[in-house]
Amino acid sequence: MFKTLNPLLHSQLRLQIISLLIAVESAEFTYLLEKTGATRGNLSVQITKLKEAGYIEVSKSYKNNYPLTTCSITHKGIIAFEEYVKAIKQYINKK
Amino acid sequence: MEKNFSEQDSLKLISEMLENTKARFNENGFFYLLWGWLVLIASLLHFTLLYTDFQHPYIGWPVIMMGGGIVSGIAGYRKGKDAKVSTFIDRSMIFLWIGFVISLLILFAIVIIGHIKWHLLSILIIALYGLPTFVSGGILKFKPLIYGALACWVLAIISLFVQEEYVILLSAISVIFAYLIPGYMLKSKFNKNV
Repeated sequence: MFKTLNPLLHSQLRLQIISLLIAVESAEFTYLLEKTGATRGNLSVQITKLKEAGYIEVSKSYKNNYPLTTCSITHKGIIAFEEYVKAIKQYINKK
Repeated sequence: MEKNFSEQDSLKLISEMLENTKARFNENGFFYLLWGWLVLIASLLHFTLLYTDFQHPYIGWPVIMMGGGIVSGIAGYRKGKDAKVSTFIDRSMIFLWIGFVISLLILFAIVIIGHIKWHLLSILIIALYGLPTFVSGGILKFKPLIYGALACWVLAIISLFVQEEYVILLSAISVIFAYLIPGYMLKSKFNKNV
């Protein structure tokens, strides 16, 4: 039986965000912007979706008087990512 | 574009993103070089002044170490402020070295109160240098630091058997192995990565 791929993660930008966050403790919005090459607007939208799913945590503060957004992955996000990778592997092996 | 996002694409993308964070070798060796040189200078100054009439041959230590503390504090604060991403490695290193500095300060306090002699302090410090250097080497997977730590421990044992004033020279040798050699190697590794 094929596991269905989590649609929330099976999207280029959202998967990029989660893959970046999985290896770090926290990352600033500008770091994600730089590494994904996405636009600000699109990145914001996808971050909000991941946040609403409880996969990431977003904290807002200030740095040198500029607003600062920091993201980090949650336990739920880690589990979802692991399951997604497992499912992907299954698909590729069966092909 | 999103519709054609295949399973292969997805795996490729994950590994690319992971590579990004893995390749980020953030250690430029600055603190190792700073403290390596400061301790080396302070040790050699102390050793030289022992052979003069100067009443306080150890004077270099408090002055140079305080200067180093201020520079480190500023550099550490800036590094933290500029970092866009924080990893578990970063946090482990910060806690390790702060813990080391606190232990060191307590040792100094014990000597100032007069419970142990200065040359015994030097031996304890050489042995103590080994600990954060050893753990840092393990965390960063950087063997020169691990060898540096082993050198410290060997030198600490040797220093039990030499005359008091030569312990100062052994502490100078210990920082060459534990801080300066790995520091320059970290610096060149960092520059190659950038």
